[in-house]
Amino acid sequence: MPETTDFLYPFIEGDETDSEELLEDLARSAQGKWRQSWKLRQVTLSQHEAQLQATAAAMAERFAAGGRLFTFGNGGSATDAEAVAHLYTQPPAGPADLPAPGAARALPARSLAEDQAVMTALGNDVGFELVFSRQLIAHGRGHDIAMGFSTSGNSDNLMRAFAEARKQGMLTVGIAGTDGGRMAAEGSPVEQCFVVRSDSVHRIQESQAALNSALWAAVQAALAGTR
Amino acid sequence: MVAEHTAMGDAGRVADDLARASLALARRFSAGATMWCASPDWPFHAHHVAVEFVHPVIVGKRALPAVTVPPAADMVATLRASVNPGDIVLVLADADDPRVLDTMRRGPAWGVETVWIGAGSHRPAPGAADHVIWVDTDVPLEASELFVRIYHLLWELTHVCFEHPGLLKPEPECTDEVCITCSDEGRPAEVVTVDGDEAVVRTPDGHERIDVSLIDAPAPGDLVLIHAGFAITSS
Repeated sequence: MPETTDFLYPFIEGDETDSEELLEDLARSAQGKWRQSWKLRQVTLSQHEAQLQATAAAMAERFAAGGRLFTFGNGGSATDAEAVAHLYTQPPAGPADLPAPGAARALPARSLAEDQAVMTALGNDVGFELVFSRQLIAHGRGHDIAMGFSTSGNSDNLMRAFAEARKQGMLTVGIAGTDGGRMAAEGSPVEQCFVVRSDSVHRIQESQAALNSALWAAVQAALAGTR
Repeated sequence: MVAEHTAMGDAGRVADDLARASLALARRFSAGATMWCASPDWPFHAHHVAVEFVHPVIVGKRALPAVTVPPAADMVATLRASVNPGDIVLVLADADDPRVLDTMRRGPAWGVETVWIGAGSHRPAPGAADHVIWVDTDVPLEASELFVRIYHLLWELTHVCFEHPGLLKPEPECTDEVCITCSDEGRPAEVVTVDGDEAVVRTPDGHERIDVSLIDAPAPGDLVLIHAGFAITSS
């Protein structure tokens, strides 16, 4: 999806003084992008409806068997990994979030990008492409879940982590963007790859946030069904 | 799941507030500001805002100084030690978070521009921050999704403002001898040390020694209004 700031041409002279006109343009641009983001979100959720249910069922099975969720990503996607781990371990109390009556279950989840001692030790000693896979070597068990976030789908350290996770028999879930990149390619170690089809990193992350919420809700529903 | 009426109903008001906040941020950054980001309950949101500004997703955009206040830190103490006049403090939090309320009310004494992003039917009181960007939902998952949209747009619009250098110049300073805005009203200040009837206070212009004999004995950290070298009220 193209950026929509093109209509705001840079002013060559620095003597522009009327900020009201700029404020109106900014507000109009913000509304347009907000609408665009909302549309992409709706399309993304409906495209992935069946996959969300299937993935949630597989994740619920793992959780029920004592599995844990490991999340990872770089930059803004590292903060998404942290947000998802927070959502699973400390589910919100608001009743409207729950897919079924009853409280949401707190589930074991952890972001592999959060511990700066581990991140810098591994980055410095063995290389940044191994920062997540080495942690999975240390912590992973066959019934765990590995979930990685990338807007391009091409991050080397994610691909290494997914390969390690598959080797151990973990369930691998990818939240990608653009065209899915290596995460969605033939022969990828990612079993369930969700792709937000957009060229804007920001719009991709916004729809990924919606996917994360929907997947969490579906996992809760699946677990409630097995209780 | 975010209800459509929620997502679109907030859009118009949020867009106007985002526009004003973005222009303010661009002006502050142009004048050398650092942006301090904090979210005591949702540290990932603060991290996300800071990384957006420091390491832009669009190649060629300016890297801007933004920092996350560590969630475990004492927010007021950390910011008091760190901020310079002209900086920006951006917080994502509920309207009744006492740490945030205590931070935001010090903004005028520290000389920082404050931005408060949050959600819920309960909003911060008018004037609680220079910019309040609020969505009405009380559902945490809806709010969290909308926050991502809000700070992405804040970054995008701030960078649009950089294409308008003429609008980023500082506001003309008041140079009149006697001026209602500068001289005839109390100025906010934060008490640093107290020594009997005198105190050293922090204002956006630096440290000043003032007389505190007109008010109840203040303590370090208290906020006071000063006028002509006297503290006239504590707040």
